[in-house]
Amino acid sequence: MPAKLVVTDLTHHYPDEYTGESVHALEKINLEVNEGELVTVVGPSGCGKSTLLNILAGLLPYREGNASMDGVKIQGPSSERGVVFQEQAILPWRSVAKNIGHGLELKGVPRGEREKRVSEFIKLVGLVGFEDKFPHELSGGMKQRCAVARTLCADPAVMLMDEPFAAVDAQTRITLQEELNRIAIATKKTILFITHSVDEAAFLGDRCFVFTARPGRLREIVNIDIPREKRIWADMNNDPRFIEARDKIMRLVREEVLVSNA
Amino acid sequence: MNILQSISIGVQRRFGRQRLRKIFLGSIPFAVIIFAWFMNGYMGWFPPVFIPPIGEVWASFFLLQEDCPGIGAIVALDQRCLMSTHILSSLSRVILAAVIGLPAGIALGIVAGMSRPISKFLEPIGIFANSISGIAWIPLAIVWFGVGWKTTLFILLNTIFWLLFFNSMMCVRTVSRVYEQSVLTMGGSRWAVIRDVFLPGAMPSIITGIRLALGFGWRALIAAEMVGGDSGLGFMIFSSAAEFRMEEVFLGVIIISLIFLATDRYLLAPLEKWTILRWGLIWKPT
Repeated sequence: MPAKLVVTDLTHHYPDEYTGESVHALEKINLEVNEGELVTVVGPSGCGKSTLLNILAGLLPYREGNASMDGVKIQGPSSERGVVFQEQAILPWRSVAKNIGHGLELKGVPRGEREKRVSEFIKLVGLVGFEDKFPHELSGGMKQRCAVARTLCADPAVMLMDEPFAAVDAQTRITLQEELNRIAIATKKTILFITHSVDEAAFLGDRCFVFTARPGRLREIVNIDIPREKRIWADMNNDPRFIEARDKIMRLVREEVLVSNA
Repeated sequence: MNILQSISIGVQRRFGRQRLRKIFLGSIPFAVIIFAWFMNGYMGWFPPVFIPPIGEVWASFFLLQEDCPGIGAIVALDQRCLMSTHILSSLSRVILAAVIGLPAGIALGIVAGMSRPISKFLEPIGIFANSISGIAWIPLAIVWFGVGWKTTLFILLNTIFWLLFFNSMMCVRTVSRVYEQSVLTMGGSRWAVIRDVFLPGAMPSIITGIRLALGFGWRALIAAEMVGGDSGLGFMIFSSAAEFRMEEVFLGVIIISLIFLATDRYLLAPLEKWTILRWGLIWKPT
């Protein structure tokens, strides 16, 4: 399969917001994400995971190294690379339906067509009956479902997800992970998923990139060779391939956390 | 007693107990002042040249308007309709300044709030302009524009514009950057970001800013009219005082506060409440 996203020798420094000191976030990152693949990125806090995502989204200018999509250098945000943010990023002054249809609205898709597509995605993420509600009327899980649907509805070639389920409770999280797996099967999107949860990384990823402590380097790539259709928590918990992958990722991350604490 | 009680309960139901209480308590200081004023007329504590009798103040309103030929002359700000001409010329200046100053202040404030370089460029000059309160410009304005409407309008615009500029800039900065980024990554343009993120996000605070700016503007206008105007309520107070027509001075002060009270209460406060109800429940900037 051809590589959709290619990152070569990417190094990044940025000034700290408060002290102004230069922070060395990424060091010579080389990685590829193939078309239709779901990769997860884990690493200790502050290892530059979010920096990588922001660069891929085109939200953060970079100087050293290269990040490209379909062979074209990434130089700014584009609707080809949708982002699901860590925080609540759906617009509080728009209803669920209007948030989900926002991307199509920006592309100038006519109303009738838009409403049809929006209702499809509302069904896909299980928000039927909540079309006219505003974000403050939704639970945390529903807000993130809405955020995922909003990004999907704009139909990007690549979805970049920045710890999207970090703020929801454990039960909802499990449901959202299974739903995302279902969505990945249904839409065949290329997804880069950043998380700090080892379980999540092993459950969702076809491959998992483990990053080192700051400055972030790619430490190891863990393959998780389990068909998407088999990825249901009830089965996965007993699957030796899953357990092996999870334990391996856990061990790598622990080592890095110890390094960053030292 | 039963009838009284049922009337009282009816009134309370109709207007709300808390609201009646508020109106009642709030009107006590006014009642005390008016009572003392009446008493002064009878007792003669202060001579009329300090505090004119309440009846004279009331009568002066009609005296000033006495020579007015009709509605047409009122609208044309005829000098014979003194009272209405003063009121209308003050009001029309506020409206003119609002029409020019509010959109300009809001637009520039939003742009400055969005862009770091532009805000760095405009912020120091803004602080400079704001620190010299509106009325401190009066001497300079008189030299530049002479005595008259240009000076008063300049003072008013100066006050409204900078206040709104600053307020809007700060409001826009409170809008989370994630919203902007989410629109950009859905293919939104700069303009789409303004329309869909910054404008709705900053709206409740901008309306509050409008309310504040018009309040300050009204006060600055009165001051400007006193020194650098040739018509308007401020001018009326000042010129009447120079001729010791104290009833007109009192009348002017009362009308100024009544107009301010009425616009704030029946126009600006409901507008603010409406936007907060419309947006604030959905979205409250923190």
